Amino acid sequence: MLGIRNRHDLLELGSRHFIWVVLVLTAVVFGSTIDKYLSVPNITNILITGSVLGVLVIGQALCLMARKLDLSAEGTVSLVAVMAAWLMLPYREQDFAQAGGLGVELDPLIVIPIILLLGAFVGFLNGFMIMKLNMNFFIVTLAMQLVLRGLALAISEGAIMPGTPAAFNWLGGGRVAGIPVSVIATIGLYLVFGFVMSRMQFGRKVYAVGANEDAARASGFSPARTVILVYTASGFLAAMAGWMLLGRLEASVPTLGVGMTLNVVAAAVIGGVSLKGGEGSIIGAFAGVLFLAMVNNALNLMNVDPLWVNAVRGLIILVALIIDAQKSRYRGRAAAPDKAKRAEANQSAALS
Amino acid sequence: MAEANLKTDEILLDMRGISKTYPGVQALEDADFSVRRGEIHGLVGKNGAGKSTLMGVLMGIRDADSGSVAMDGQELVDASPQTMLDAGISYVPQHINLLNTLTVAENILVGNLPKNRFGLVDWKAVNEDSQARLSRLGLEMDVRQPVEGLSVAERTMLAIAKALFANARLIILDEPTAALSRVEIDLLFSFVRAQQEQGVAFIYISHHLEEVFEICDRVTVMRDGRIVGTREISEIDVPILIHMMVGGGVQEYERESAAGEQTVFEVRGLSRRGAYEHVDLSMNRGEVLGLSGLQGSGVDELAQALFGLDRLGVGEVLVDGEPYRPGSPKQAFESGVAYLPQDRHRFGLVQLRSVRENVTYSVLDRLVGRLGVLMRAGEQQITEEYIDKLGIVTPGTEQRTLLLSGGNQQKVVFAKLAATQPHVLILHEPTQGVDVQAKVDIFNIIDDLSAQGVAILIISSEVRELIGLCDRILVMYEGRITDEFSRAAKDMRPEDILLAIEGGRNVGDS
Repeated sequence: MLGIRNRHDLLELGSRHFIWVVLVLTAVVFGSTIDKYLSVPNITNILITGSVLGVLVIGQALCLMARKLDLSAEGTVSLVAVMAAWLMLPYREQDFAQAGGLGVELDPLIVIPIILLLGAFVGFLNGFMIMKLNMNFFIVTLAMQLVLRGLALAISEGAIMPGTPAAFNWLGGGRVAGIPVSVIATIGLYLVFGFVMSRMQFGRKVYAVGANEDAARASGFSPARTVILVYTASGFLAAMAGWMLLGRLEASVPTLGVGMTLNVVAAAVIGGVSLKGGEGSIIGAFAGVLFLAMVNNALNLMNVDPLWVNAVRGLIILVALIIDAQKSRYRGRAAAPDKAKRAEANQSAALS
Repeated sequence: MAEANLKTDEILLDMRGISKTYPGVQALEDADFSVRRGEIHGLVGKNGAGKSTLMGVLMGIRDADSGSVAMDGQELVDASPQTMLDAGISYVPQHINLLNTLTVAENILVGNLPKNRFGLVDWKAVNEDSQARLSRLGLEMDVRQPVEGLSVAERTMLAIAKALFANARLIILDEPTAALSRVEIDLLFSFVRAQQEQGVAFIYISHHLEEVFEICDRVTVMRDGRIVGTREISEIDVPILIHMMVGGGVQEYERESAAGEQTVFEVRGLSRRGAYEHVDLSMNRGEVLGLSGLQGSGVDELAQALFGLDRLGVGEVLVDGEPYRPGSPKQAFESGVAYLPQDRHRFGLVQLRSVRENVTYSVLDRLVGRLGVLMRAGEQQITEEYIDKLGIVTPGTEQRTLLLSGGNQQKVVFAKLAATQPHVLILHEPTQGVDVQAKVDIFNIIDDLSAQGVAILIISSEVRELIGLCDRILVMYEGRITDEFSRAAKDMRPEDILLAIEGGRNVGDS
């Protein structure tokens, strides 16, 4: 019925839907052990905290599918939050680590496009350096994170800038018919990018480039253009996440987003996006986000000592990585005859 | 003389009944191979003849399915690289692996540097010891200079010397002269002969047949995974050897020519420094043109450049009479040129993705509807059409190409190219690593495409296949097209073509 003919199909099916099974089990376990875990307010809470993470995960998933990584996204979150507050808030001398903005008091409707473009531009720069200047993606995005975070601290002078306008806060804190706008927006973004990746030419190219850049080029694609677009999208989405987070907090904190990258990558990998590129789905990544948000929420409600929380999270991430590694190893074994043949071909090339 | 013969008749290495199968490919079939003590034994055969697999078994890096390997009559069980090294078998690759920034002395004594009483390296001893060791082999070089300062021949000799210091008795030399000048070759050969006189045996793998005649005592020919025979070098000449390499003129496949009158592809005076020089070739509609040459002859570079994967250089290329200078494969596709790469896994397939995705990569532009949304039904239709046409054996369109057999993977790449409806198709070793049935299928695909008017350039070292398929065959040697054979002139003899490939003159023309 499910089209299972052999162990391989089983593995395929398993790895595709595994996360949903885990998700349901998690809900059942936490729901039955933690009081009011599955109540509407708590579920809403889970979704709200998951939404910023979720938006970042889309961008990161795109990068991972293209066999890259974006470590700069959390820096973009910091910078756009500080920039937005700085451009919107009236001037005020810093006192008690709180300050006002630059004093230009721009309208949110002007500021929002500015920060989204800023995020996209940062992403474009990343992609350009990686593909056109042949730089290592890990180092480029790591350095970029430092630059962005540094700029955020410099502009804010380390101060908190509270009191962002309501129109700006609507995305992060508003509600429509009782449903948080951030949740609606996040689900909307997942639907859009899920469609783009599975049904559109761009998605097809991203998977091809991530799985085998040389073959993608020989098939007529431009890996450079594809990867630059991926990073641009990742930067844009990071700016969205920054906007959403600032709107929820109503105050810019220069350290916003610090340490999120690992959670973001973890959610994508838990959702079945391979670190080795070319695989995974946006909908799977969404499941990964839900899982992490549920676990974080449960750790909170169970009053787990905050000193232990990181250990638990780290463990979950490691398990996800182990599963990812085993998946490709098993597949590698299935394709072993080909590997041997290839080694053979290489060797005969060396021998000839 | 009789005494010396007795001595060298002693069998050192004895490989018996070695077989090795990869799925769909019999890489070695019941191969017997033996080397005498103190002998230089040539091993020749075309690419894919099984030399590398046989040597892989001998080096312990490949497990044979059956057969035995014995040194001095002692069977070597539990073959691993270490077992083989311990038995005195050593391999000197074409590209010598030495620690280039360290000195000759350090390279010789690496891992075993003499220490003084403070536990520090005793450099004086290092240099004296290594110099003395080299002198014993009759090799004079300054042991204090870094290896990167040595010539290629010196590095090769140093690698041989290192093997001898590790008590090697049988040394495999893999294309040792590929990068050497004549003077260097003489230097290397006299060194090898000097070691031979000390009783060391060599297996000499080379495509340069004259050198085989120059240095070897015996030669073994391989073809299609089998040992064709072993001969005393004094009993044969180059034509006999080539005849053994290509087989008895058996043609497995012979197709009707579909060549038309109209020229669709023309290369005029194309040159790229270090790759190829003044290449002229033209193909008519429906013509199948073969191009063959050794590695490094420029055929590989030419193929990649013609598809926009590399620089074209100076000169002119015309497709359908229009100037053609592809900056990328995409532009090549748009101009009606498609290319089947030699390395299917690296350039041909995106193995993680499905058959459907792979087949339609080249034609995505035709399959996008409004706003860049792909038309799934169109994809499905094209994929099913080619699965059917090319006889791709797959459980369905969604199967990952990773899980298909080599032949079916190759057909998927063919489908991707054919879907672009090219005017010119460049095939690079199209039958490499596919089984016999898939080969025949691929020949039929080539036949069909040519009948539809596609001009097909086949770059291959499979001379017999080329003879069966092609209307004409060009031979490239050292970057130039040196010979042309054609069905019309009835001069497509495998011996002549192979001789031309190896750089010899065409017997028929001279």
